[in-house]
Amino acid sequence: MTVPMGDPAAPVVDPAEAWAGEQEPARKPEEPSLSAGEWLSKNLFSSAVNSVLTGVFTLLVLLAVRGLLNFTFSEERTWRAVKTNMRFLFTHAYPQDQYIRIWVCVGAIAVLSGLSVGLLARTGAGISMKKLSMNLMGMGGVIGLGILLREPSAVVDSEGLVVHREAAAVGDSFVDWLDTNALAVLGVLVLANVALAVWFHLQGTYLRDGPEPRLAHGVLVLASVGVLIVQQYATGEIARESFVDAMADRAWWWLGAVVLAGSGAALWFGLGDSRRRNTFVPAMHVFFAAAGIMVLSAWAYPWGHYAFLEGEFISEPGRTVAMTTKLPWTVMWALLVGTFLLGRALSTAPAARRLRVPLNLLWVMAPFVLYWAVLRDPDLDWDHVLSTDIPMAVFFAVLGGLVVWYLTHPRIGEAGRIMAVVLVGVAVLNWVAAYFGWYPMLQKARISFLLLAVVALLAHNFAGDRSQRLRLVVAWVAIMAVFHWLVTLVNSPSTVETPTDALIGGFGITLIVAVFTLLAAFPLGVLLALARTSKLPIFRVLSTAYIEVFRGVPLITLLFFFTLIFNLFLPSNMSLTDIAGATIGFALFSAAYLAENVRGGLQAVRQGQYEASDAVGLTTVQRTLFVVLPQALRVSIPPLVGQVIATFKETSLLAVVGIFDFLRIADKVISAQSEFLGVKREGLLFASFIYWIFAYNMSKHSQRLEKRLGVGER
Amino acid sequence: MPRLLGALFAAALALAACGEPDPQDTEGTELTGEPEAGTAGASGAEQPSTTAADAVYDRGDTDLLEIVQERGRLVCGVSGTRVIFSETQPDGTVVGVDADFCRVVAAAMLGDADSVEFVSLTTAERFAALQSGHIDVLFRSTTWTQSRDTEVGLDFGPVIYYDGQQLMARSSDGFSASSQVADIAGAVVCALAGTTTEQNVSDAADAAGIHITLTTLEDFDVIIENFITGACDVTTADGSALAGRKAKQQPDDQEWVIFPAIPISKEPLAPVYPQNQSRFGDVVNWAVYATIIADEKGITSDNVAEMVAGPPDAEARRLLGGEGELQTAMGLAPDAFYRAILQVGNYGEILARHLEPAGLTRGSINAGWSDGGLIYAPPAR
Repeated sequence: MTVPMGDPAAPVVDPAEAWAGEQEPARKPEEPSLSAGEWLSKNLFSSAVNSVLTGVFTLLVLLAVRGLLNFTFSEERTWRAVKTNMRFLFTHAYPQDQYIRIWVCVGAIAVLSGLSVGLLARTGAGISMKKLSMNLMGMGGVIGLGILLREPSAVVDSEGLVVHREAAAVGDSFVDWLDTNALAVLGVLVLANVALAVWFHLQGTYLRDGPEPRLAHGVLVLASVGVLIVQQYATGEIARESFVDAMADRAWWWLGAVVLAGSGAALWFGLGDSRRRNTFVPAMHVFFAAAGIMVLSAWAYPWGHYAFLEGEFISEPGRTVAMTTKLPWTVMWALLVGTFLLGRALSTAPAARRLRVPLNLLWVMAPFVLYWAVLRDPDLDWDHVLSTDIPMAVFFAVLGGLVVWYLTHPRIGEAGRIMAVVLVGVAVLNWVAAYFGWYPMLQKARISFLLLAVVALLAHNFAGDRSQRLRLVVAWVAIMAVFHWLVTLVNSPSTVETPTDALIGGFGITLIVAVFTLLAAFPLGVLLALARTSKLPIFRVLSTAYIEVFRGVPLITLLFFFTLIFNLFLPSNMSLTDIAGATIGFALFSAAYLAENVRGGLQAVRQGQYEASDAVGLTTVQRTLFVVLPQALRVSIPPLVGQVIATFKETSLLAVVGIFDFLRIADKVISAQSEFLGVKREGLLFASFIYWIFAYNMSKHSQRLEKRLGVGER
Repeated sequence: MPRLLGALFAAALALAACGEPDPQDTEGTELTGEPEAGTAGASGAEQPSTTAADAVYDRGDTDLLEIVQERGRLVCGVSGTRVIFSETQPDGTVVGVDADFCRVVAAAMLGDADSVEFVSLTTAERFAALQSGHIDVLFRSTTWTQSRDTEVGLDFGPVIYYDGQQLMARSSDGFSASSQVADIAGAVVCALAGTTTEQNVSDAADAAGIHITLTTLEDFDVIIENFITGACDVTTADGSALAGRKAKQQPDDQEWVIFPAIPISKEPLAPVYPQNQSRFGDVVNWAVYATIIADEKGITSDNVAEMVAGPPDAEARRLLGGEGELQTAMGLAPDAFYRAILQVGNYGEILARHLEPAGLTRGSINAGWSDGGLIYAPPAR
């Protein structure tokens, strides 16, 4: 982890040199580059079957892309609905004057991400200049092709209405003929491709690796692309722009495509073949640059209109989401890059390794703190805090600290067990007393006591020398501080007022529910998996029963139960809100699936590992925590990530129980606004896009994690 | 260590579950349970709580009116996705006829029309939400039917809008506003799947002795799209919904007509509240009646202040709090209905505010009784 990857803090003289300095010492030499023609011959037109498949699938992909582009950019789309509701989609009714809180949350995540990546992540070799330039050229090319493929916009009159042509004016030109017979022409092209392939095959050209197949097949494929493009300019009932006008309209897109492809080409030709392949740029730098360009563009171009004032829709070009968010996004970008550079600078220090645990703890705590302390702005009752909350936290910190210190003594023996059992007895008694009302006690005191009892039971597994015991005491004190602080925050009313029952909605609630679901489901799932593979029948039976029941019940049933029915079983002074109930439902459901994934991992741990652990005298808890679980979890990463992505997407079921989650707003709520009645496809397309971005990133991240942990290699 | 953390998560989650934030400062029992003997100063009632607002009250022996007034906020179930009745705006506010009646009730009960919290509900969960005490009152364009009134364990308030199922077709297919159900013989009729509209239209076709092809779809937006493209000849829904769609979505080259003049079903839309909550129910009923009486007497949100100074008649004086006993006997402030009308408006104002932008009018059936409509309130005396 601590292998220094060059010194990013040093002034960068020659970028190529700096990049080269970041590469890993031992890496596989890359294959020498093929020329474009050789690449085509080898990959696309290497045999008769391959050539035909290339032709047919190019056609199908382009048809699909063209359909999607025409759908997205059609004049029938009311993208204004999404733009106007942009803020609504992401945070629902979160009050605008409190929006700084949202930015603080995003900023905190940016800082944590920057630090984590800068300090801890192994950057690896990064992206080679060859790959980078190919990606840039590819992106430019794809955008250029998209510009050409898209149908020309309809001509609109001064009132913004689409101009229809007289039936007589519909021309009889070649383009119209092509449009009518497009299917036949494409069919002929495909058949010609097949015929060519057969002919070349019989001639044995493919075996000789000659250039003729790729030229001939390529011409046919290009011809079919041409048909797909030209066909769009047919003069139908609706008057459409000419080719020149359409291209002029898309001048900005062309500029983007040319800049991308041009910079790629400049890199490609500016560096020689060997420098291209052996110069590396860290992936994060590329990401930061791309994000920076996107943020910068908001300063130049007003993306998205936010025009809802005083209950009236006003098309006011000066007030856009981008205009009101460009400064915050710039700050976020600066925070991310700044903390990344800081982390990089610190990562060479010997102490950097020790920051890993605190950073990971911050990640775990962040959702709780950000939700209850930042988004909510709790209105603390200081009298109560000073008179009750703080003394109680100190009491449990000191008591627990002493207990932990005492019980982790290596030679504690039976005395420790007796003490732990007594503590468990008292903890249970507290709950029994609560039921019968023998003596009053704050609920959080009961929970703290229970925590203490559990810790006491497990303490002997963590026995060690003085410094180890001191660390455990510090950990206990920290846990008590955080726990009591959070409980106090949760119990304080919020000062953020919204018109509905939810504090935040839209994509905010999608993320929050997904994060809390996973935070709850993961430990529960691991415990269930351990219980299911346990030697104790009672654990095994209970865990199996749980998993089978929760996997057998539809998720929607669970959600309805926890949002509507569960409240009826609670004592009259307690209740669950919709969102809390839904989160519990999701967590219990996901835990069952996660448990099965982890069980798969547990089964992959060899028997020898257990035997070896027993041989060195580890306790069951120690063996599980330090030997078995690390190996089991590593193996289960791919299914676990699959489950994480599934859970993230399943949060859209929140819509069914009436919570304004992202998908519900996009699907049902916007299309019911009188301004945008029935406008639905835009929202759905936008929502799919955002979901995809997040799911794709999770998947990418897990691939990196797998690579780092060597899943499938060791 | 990981095990300790796991325990912390579990505990924190348990708390998180109980402590969903509540923006309002309300009284009640706090999550942390009974106060310890040593800290008598911070009793449960004094400590602001996050959970009280969501407290499930034991219906039957507790008075919902008192609970709402103590809480200082009315939790009102609405659709949130129904144009005209309750639509959610881009800034998150809920507007519409249903939403305005929630605000009327809140103004009467609590003195402030804004002290209402809207909970958006789907049709599937609306009654369960009311029964479990998740909401206090349901204004979700719900049709008052015998079975719902008797079997579901709910009570209905006065009808706030008389709707009825109608049919919509294109005039180019030969339909007009005077068409009858018998005229749609052989047509493809599109209706929402799994709703009473589906049942009503096939019953009406049977009664008229005609055969229709019934296509059911899950989403009314999709039905309208099919109607525009011609895949559906006729579409059917409540009259208000059809008229709203016609006003907003009729293409330039089509002419849509809504018929028959007498709807094929009765859909009286009324507020719903829990059974056996007479005091609460009375307030909901009379808040609605107050807007109707104000409508009859021409008392609007603009002139209500003058009307208090010089009421047109004794009933208006009593209603607006000139003689406060009528309201105080119900457990309200003497000027409760004055506030409701001042802050929200009378019946006619509320309807006009939301129907007119959608191109609708009150129509004859929702006119006041003196104009030949069905809107009628018992006298305030």
